[in-house]
Amino acid sequence: MDNSASRSKSESTPVIEVEGLAKEYRVHDKPEGLAASVRSLFHRTSRVVEALRGVDLRVGRGEFVALLGPNGAGKTTFLKLLSGIITPSRGTARVLGHVPWVRENEFRRRFALVMGQRNQLWWDLPAAESFRLHREIYRIEPSRFTRVRDELVDLLGVRQLVLQPVRELSLGERMKLELVAALLHEPEVLFLDEPTIGLDVVAQHTIHAFLRHVQAERRVTVMLTTHYMKDVAALCERVIVITHGDILYDGSLADIVDRFTTHKIVTLDLDEVPSPARVARYGFPCEVRGPRVVLRVDRGRIAEVLPDILRDEGVRDVSVEDVPLEEIVAELFRSTRTRPVGAPAGAAP
Amino acid sequence: MSRYLAIFRTFARACLVRDMTFRANFLLECLTSLGWMSMNLAFYLLVFTFTPEIGAGSGWTKAPFFAFVGTGLIVNSIVQALFMPSAEELTEMVRTGGLDAVLVQPLDAQFLVSMHRVDFSSFANGLVGVGLVAWAVPRLEHAPGPIAWLVYPLTILCGVAILYGLVIMLAAATILMGRNQSLYDFWFYLTNFSRYPAEIYAGPWGGPLRAVCTFVIPILLVVNVPARVLARPLAGEAWWAVVTALLAACASLAVSRAVFQAALARYRSASS
Repeated sequence: MDNSASRSKSESTPVIEVEGLAKEYRVHDKPEGLAASVRSLFHRTSRVVEALRGVDLRVGRGEFVALLGPNGAGKTTFLKLLSGIITPSRGTARVLGHVPWVRENEFRRRFALVMGQRNQLWWDLPAAESFRLHREIYRIEPSRFTRVRDELVDLLGVRQLVLQPVRELSLGERMKLELVAALLHEPEVLFLDEPTIGLDVVAQHTIHAFLRHVQAERRVTVMLTTHYMKDVAALCERVIVITHGDILYDGSLADIVDRFTTHKIVTLDLDEVPSPARVARYGFPCEVRGPRVVLRVDRGRIAEVLPDILRDEGVRDVSVEDVPLEEIVAELFRSTRTRPVGAPAGAAP
Repeated sequence: MSRYLAIFRTFARACLVRDMTFRANFLLECLTSLGWMSMNLAFYLLVFTFTPEIGAGSGWTKAPFFAFVGTGLIVNSIVQALFMPSAEELTEMVRTGGLDAVLVQPLDAQFLVSMHRVDFSSFANGLVGVGLVAWAVPRLEHAPGPIAWLVYPLTILCGVAILYGLVIMLAAATILMGRNQSLYDFWFYLTNFSRYPAEIYAGPWGGPLRAVCTFVIPILLVVNVPARVLARPLAGEAWWAVVTALLAACASLAVSRAVFQAALARYRSASS
């Protein structure tokens, strides 16, 4: 096989292939009260909870995919299955051609997992010590290690922090150093579980810019779980919505807006606080905030409605926007909440 | 293998750096450990003011017995320094999901789980153990020959391997149960049996207990075999004890490995 054919094959082969992947947990029901607790020592009732129900998915090289879903939807369980931390109840998965839960070292050298709510650096030591350990574990050649480390710490602006004990760092600083550690071995796949949780806006922006750069420069395939739509808007072209262990939506970020909203937000800045009669004239559901009126106009009627609005001499300014992503996703989550599934938070034992 | 040694050196170095960061805590740990051991030694000295040997006709007079105690200290200090800190931390790692980070690293999970922390303060007891052996050996009735000195470290390694196997099985129980806060207590109860010469387990209760602690949970071989190699002539039955210790060490490592792998396959992780 010549080089171009080989390259073309590697480009078209999915990095992540999942078929019918399911994870069930048996959870014990803990009865309330002392007597019931004593009884449960001898007889326990349990039920099976489906954290993930037969998911199918293919992700290509270099894609940046967001996994969205309410708490307990199965997002983190999915990442844990793909990184080989847990084994599935049914189904198959291949990441970089490997079955993750076989936990081959060859596979584990090629991906990284960063969990926003867990610290993977040595707590009492400077991050430089964790980086050194990482170099040994991943067998990174010293010159390559130095080059990659310097590049990453400079990109995130944390060079001055690597010699400070991790316990003395802020949450944002710690997360930046976690990202450096995760990327030192130049993984081909990066799993990010809520990497910006609890971070301030500046830290979030820095991490967004960093991840965009890394993904573009190295063609890293990234799967990100988050509850922050700003992460999604800043980073991901593809969005997967998981609820109750099922994939509810898999498509582009732009399509999610088209598919799940029927209207746009038209904001009018008027010259005075409008009277109820004037507001009623617009004929759309609206919200009045002083001289500002926010209308929810059917998408198909925007072109028809706007000229009428602009003819109104009292209108000083007009803006037309899509419904905020947070609102769309929240509505999506709410619409599936009626299903009688007892999914627990994540997959807690 | 050399890679694992390099990684272990890095772990050990990081632990030493951390210990030196909290010097007062490190010194306090050394002092606590030495204090507890001194009380034990004082107790044994007190016992020898009432009797010339532990168990009539057992041969465990003062010098052999202190060689026994010194050997026990050496074996236990190695286990306490190299494996127990990691094993103790495992309970928390399983409960909080910290084990996830271990499982994604391209290294043997058992190695990472059992050897990522080194407690240097525990080596203090080992040094005292060496001192006790050095004090006891010139006072032994049978001075150990060159072969005994070669076999002695080997049997110490067997003892460490047997205890390591037990640590790993307790760690596996932690993974299966999700929480096992009595791990250290259970360890303490078990290893208590290894602290005394096997001869004290005699009679209708002691006999079966001795058999169980030799062939089922081979805890009695941990200190008894190396101490005997040093304190008694190395002939006949003593060689059988050495072979038994070797087999028990191999079995302990193999069984614990299988149990640990089975436990990892059932790991459920924790909610984030």
